Amino acid sequence: MNFPIAGVTINPLLLAGIGFIVGILGGFFGVGGGFIAGPMMFWAGVPMNFVVGTDLAHMTGKSIVAAKRHRALGHVDIKLGALMVTGTVIGVEIGARIIEALVAAGIVDLVIGLVYVTILVIISAFTAWESLRALRMIRTDRLDVKDAVGFQGISRRIHSIEIPPMISFPMSGIASISLWTVLGVGFITGILAGSLGVGGGFIRMPMLVYLVGVPTHVAVGTDLFEIMFSSAYGMLTHALKGNVDVLMALVMHTGAALGAQIGAVSTRFFIGPRIRLFFSVLPLIGALLVLMRLVSGGIVHL
Amino acid sequence: MTSKSENITIRELVINFAIELLIYGVLVVGYFYLVLRLLGPWLTHLFQNDLITYAAIGLSLVVAQGIVLEQVTSFILNWLNLNRLE
Repeated sequence: MNFPIAGVTINPLLLAGIGFIVGILGGFFGVGGGFIAGPMMFWAGVPMNFVVGTDLAHMTGKSIVAAKRHRALGHVDIKLGALMVTGTVIGVEIGARIIEALVAAGIVDLVIGLVYVTILVIISAFTAWESLRALRMIRTDRLDVKDAVGFQGISRRIHSIEIPPMISFPMSGIASISLWTVLGVGFITGILAGSLGVGGGFIRMPMLVYLVGVPTHVAVGTDLFEIMFSSAYGMLTHALKGNVDVLMALVMHTGAALGAQIGAVSTRFFIGPRIRLFFSVLPLIGALLVLMRLVSGGIVHL
Repeated sequence: MTSKSENITIRELVINFAIELLIYGVLVVGYFYLVLRLLGPWLTHLFQNDLITYAAIGLSLVVAQGIVLEQVTSFILNWLNLNRLE
């Protein structure tokens, strides 16, 4: 099928298949999946300038499907998600300015690449260590199975910060937390997302669990709720620069919609620590892809 | 006994998911050839001449398709009794 906007001919079933795979990951882990969809789209023949914008466009549609399904399952904390969006949008803008400064200094690829890999490896290692610890504690009956977190020190300390106004999130089981903490977490993920050029789901999901103290299933659903807005914003920005092929995004989304439903329903079969253990592999894949790009581009020499 | 009935349930689930994929696949292929071919020339014209309208219509189409596909996939899930997983 010819896609005249991007000027390429690609089998639509291949695009729908990519959407399906990324949709399952998105529905199950609460991530946009851009770090996997991007390289796959490029491999399928989508021109590089259309990869990011088109991926964001399909992500918008996919997150609507997945967030609606998670909402039906009782996994979306709308109040928390809406507040975090505010912090995220401000953070994304500041992140974009950091990028501009690094571009002007001529070190953007090296700095962003290395920061990206470091953050991803830390997230992956920490999530794997914590989820294995939680699974061990469940086996020895020291933790409740449902939403066991093997490392709650940070979220407890964060909950004890009492800068008014204090708010509660009954849906997430949070009795009291400072509004500024929630906005701050959104802001930090926004800076990372804006400067790294990704949706930030794989950064936001662990931050919701470990810093804010949200149960894993609710973190997945709430993250998808937030991705709806951040990816729609990103899509609009890229579309205005002529980097979005809407037809391609609609085709990818047909596969992603089904994948997202299957992924979301599948979370019902796994306890929180198990989901986080599977999740810990994703940032590592992302880190490897970035490392490969840095090495093949001659930016880093091994 | 429990494990045997669990195996039957999982087998049933896999079969139902396969049926869903098949039905959904047919719908999607029809969608590619009818709707997208009709939309293609119009969206290309907008892309080349008016990026602001293109961006606004693009986002509206993505959101509308998101809502419609959510209902279609939910309907198929319910129809095949996959909703009982929840």
